[in-house]
Amino acid sequence: MILAIETSCDDTCAAVIDRSGLILSNVISSQGIHDRYGGVVPEIAARHHLELVDVAIEDALEQADVGLGDIRLVAATQGPGLVGALLIGLSEAKAIAAARNLPLAPVDHLQGHVAANFLGPEPFEPPFLCLIASGGHTLLAHVEDRFGFTVLGSTLDDAAGEAFDKGARMLGLGYPGGPALQRLAADGDPTAFKFPTAEGVDGLDFSFAGVKTSLLYALRDNPDAPRQDLAASYQAAIVEQLARRTEKALEQTGIDRLAVGGGVAANGPLRERLARIGVTLHVPPRELCTDNAAMIASAARYVTPLLPGAYLDLDAYATGQRAL
Amino acid sequence: MSNVVLAFDTATSSTAVALSGTAIAHTAELRDDPIAGQRPRHAQALLGLARNLLEDEGLTFADVDRIVVGTGPGGFTGLRIGLATARALALGSGAEIVGVSTLRTLERPAREAAGDGQAVVAILDARRGEVFAEARRGIDLVLEPAALTPARLAELTIAAGASAADPWLGVGDGAVRFRSILEPAGIAIPADDSPLHRVSATVLSELGARATAVPRAEVLPDYLRLPDAEITRRARSDP
Ligand SMILES: [Zn+2]
Repeated sequence: MILAIETSCDDTCAAVIDRSGLILSNVISSQGIHDRYGGVVPEIAARHHLELVDVAIEDALEQADVGLGDIRLVAATQGPGLVGALLIGLSEAKAIAAARNLPLAPVDHLQGHVAANFLGPEPFEPPFLCLIASGGHTLLAHVEDRFGFTVLGSTLDDAAGEAFDKGARMLGLGYPGGPALQRLAADGDPTAFKFPTAEGVDGLDFSFAGVKTSLLYALRDNPDAPRQDLAASYQAAIVEQLARRTEKALEQTGIDRLAVGGGVAANGPLRERLARIGVTLHVPPRELCTDNAAMIASAARYVTPLLPGAYLDLDAYATGQRAL
Repeated sequence: MSNVVLAFDTATSSTAVALSGTAIAHTAELRDDPIAGQRPRHAQALLGLARNLLEDEGLTFADVDRIVVGTGPGGFTGLRIGLATARALALGSGAEIVGVSTLRTLERPAREAAGDGQAVVAILDARRGEVFAEARRGIDLVLEPAALTPARLAELTIAAGASAADPWLGVGDGAVRFRSILEPAGIAIPADDSPLHRVSATVLSELGARATAVPRAEVLPDYLRLPDAEITRRARSDP
């Protein structure tokens, strides 16, 4: 049994899985408090993590119907993410493991998103490409086995989820903007405006600066244009960019299996667009796409665990341990 | 008193850990004190120092009966590392847990060093030009714990009767840092290298040894200051 903790952003998460990758519990405590600030505030996120994390861990154990005595490995996200937030989960994990004389697996958050696909009862087996798109990251990962991945492309500026949030703000929608923008776009014409899809960006990298600027100009130049058309066109451009880069990566690698991860993967039009590519598509359930601890536990199975004593000085990292 | 008491404070840039209790012949303290300008090393140092103390006694984390943790005020990130570690150790081992104010830990030895009836003011550097401070005369609180500028603290101590003739004793990294503002306000501050300026985990363990243990969830940091984003938000909505 593996106990995992994930506190890299604003969700306080704890989960228990078994060695085969079956989820026994997956507790996600969303803080909700950040909406009023128009974005995640690191200091406030960290304060809430400290208040919520013990309860999340106890809930995860209780829902899994296991005690700490059943746990054989403790895992935690080490990075990338907000360091002050990461340190809560990592400190908890280190102390629990030390008190129980258990090994500890430090997990890379992005590897966690990839490993969400390895959870049971029907894991998606490598090789495959994984498109990870959320408010914090956007990248294409080439997953050759369960132990790691190589980055084929990543965003040069904003993450896709950030682009959704910023577009939503320009359209006068609240935070978080992704879902609100998607709702507004549902009644709009995605071909009403032609927004750029970063065709000028070489290789498999992403860029959302252009589409953002285009929305700004469109709003300025067409003050009476229906908002739903602007939203639909804006969303279509983001989806199209994600899908086209993914298609290109599939072609280049000759791989015909695709998985997704991250909160943006829950976006309906993106899922529909990816399904039309014609390769085998694996979309984990929504609660495994957004940040969660079950995916960290899943990844922990393929990390060489640190023995008691070897992790006491472990620190969190903010950005890419990996080449991003 | 408990057999094995592990006490630590991470509210200042230092990481201070002590091991005491009836099963321990002599209280031992280990600390990591970064030099000025160096980043605190709470995350890297805390558990390792604790393990070294336990190992010297042939003990492990599982043998700890009581955890005493400094609840601040102090650096937000350091405080949280200390509290998360304390609570998770307690969760993992079943140890009792007690929280003790970092300002009280700082005050305690200064009160013994102070003259008869002399007030003691504990002053922690709160960054951004502020300090966390509280003052006592004997056990009586004469200045409520607060985050304030050194200039404001100087006004308050003068108003409360501190003077060159009847000085208060000021201790802590905030006292050292703002010596030039505080000394003219009737606060006598020992030399920079005086141990009175450091938060002692040994003192912390003494304060926490007899206190009543509380449920883990009730051991929370005493931030004494709102997050910046919340200060800005309130200023905006309440002009
Ligand atoms: Zn994520």
